[in-house]
Amino acid sequence: MEHAKDLLDETGIGGERLEMVHIGASDAPLWVEWVNRMVDRVKKLGPNPLREVRAKRVKQAQTVVP
Amino acid sequence: MIIAKRKPLDEIMDGVAGYSRVLLAGCGTCVAVCLAGGEKEVGLLSSQLAIASELKGRRIDLGEVTVERQCDREFLDELRYVIQDYDAVISLACGVGIQFLADQYPNKVILPGVDTTFIGANEEAGYWTERCRMCSRCYLAQTGGICPITICPKSLLNGPCSGTREGMCEVDPSKPCAWAAIYDRLEGTGRLEHIQEILPPRNHALTTTPQTLIHKAYKRRYSVHD
Repeated sequence: MEHAKDLLDETGIGGERLEMVHIGASDAPLWVEWVNRMVDRVKKLGPNPLREVRAKRVKQAQTVVP
Repeated sequence: MIIAKRKPLDEIMDGVAGYSRVLLAGCGTCVAVCLAGGEKEVGLLSSQLAIASELKGRRIDLGEVTVERQCDREFLDELRYVIQDYDAVISLACGVGIQFLADQYPNKVILPGVDTTFIGANEEAGYWTERCRMCSRCYLAQTGGICPITICPKSLLNGPCSGTREGMCEVDPSKPCAWAAIYDRLEGTGRLEHIQEILPPRNHALTTTPQTLIHKAYKRRYSVHD
């Protein structure tokens, strides 16, 4: 996992966006806790940088240049 | 086997900066075993390059191929068609494979994707240690199977030095003294008489220039005479 996170950091996406947690099938409270934790984390990190780059490219492609 | 380490992504990106079609060529032997340049590592690098290039606004078309070994022409021949579609190749083979690939396809830009580090053994998954420095004159019969050239930081042939302390090395106190280990090994196998043998100075001329070896059975084929 640490290696996968390092690869994502190296690539520019950010290893913080990836996490692996062991949760027992009957451990719903822990599942809820981690889902909320990841949602908060991702909100702080902002959108995936690739998404912004692609949105910009789509906008450029759709912009009519007179 | 040869142990290599994948180069940092930034360095690889800088190398392919001017090329739009890049082939990633892996090797299925040593670098695959040490998790640096096999088929999986080619796939990982391809994904990283695709994403990182897109983030930088660079267009890059990537190809992936892995051959059995890049140090054998019969396997490099397999690339003769696919390589034509690309401007540059990142080879994840060891230094030998990268050079052999470049020799085979001299009109192609061949770039290294790994740093070749040492020849060593697989202690456990993901853990390799250097064991041989390829000195061309093996002393392991006299040293109980422990290489003084590799394991002793001073490469002493008639050790130990006076810096050894309680079986540990003065250069790296966390490591055992090679010659203490050699003594123990020779004692354990009933060959302690070897410790009193004085080994002559190494002939460094054996390793100062690139070496060539032609097997006796092939000397006539290559017209080599003693």
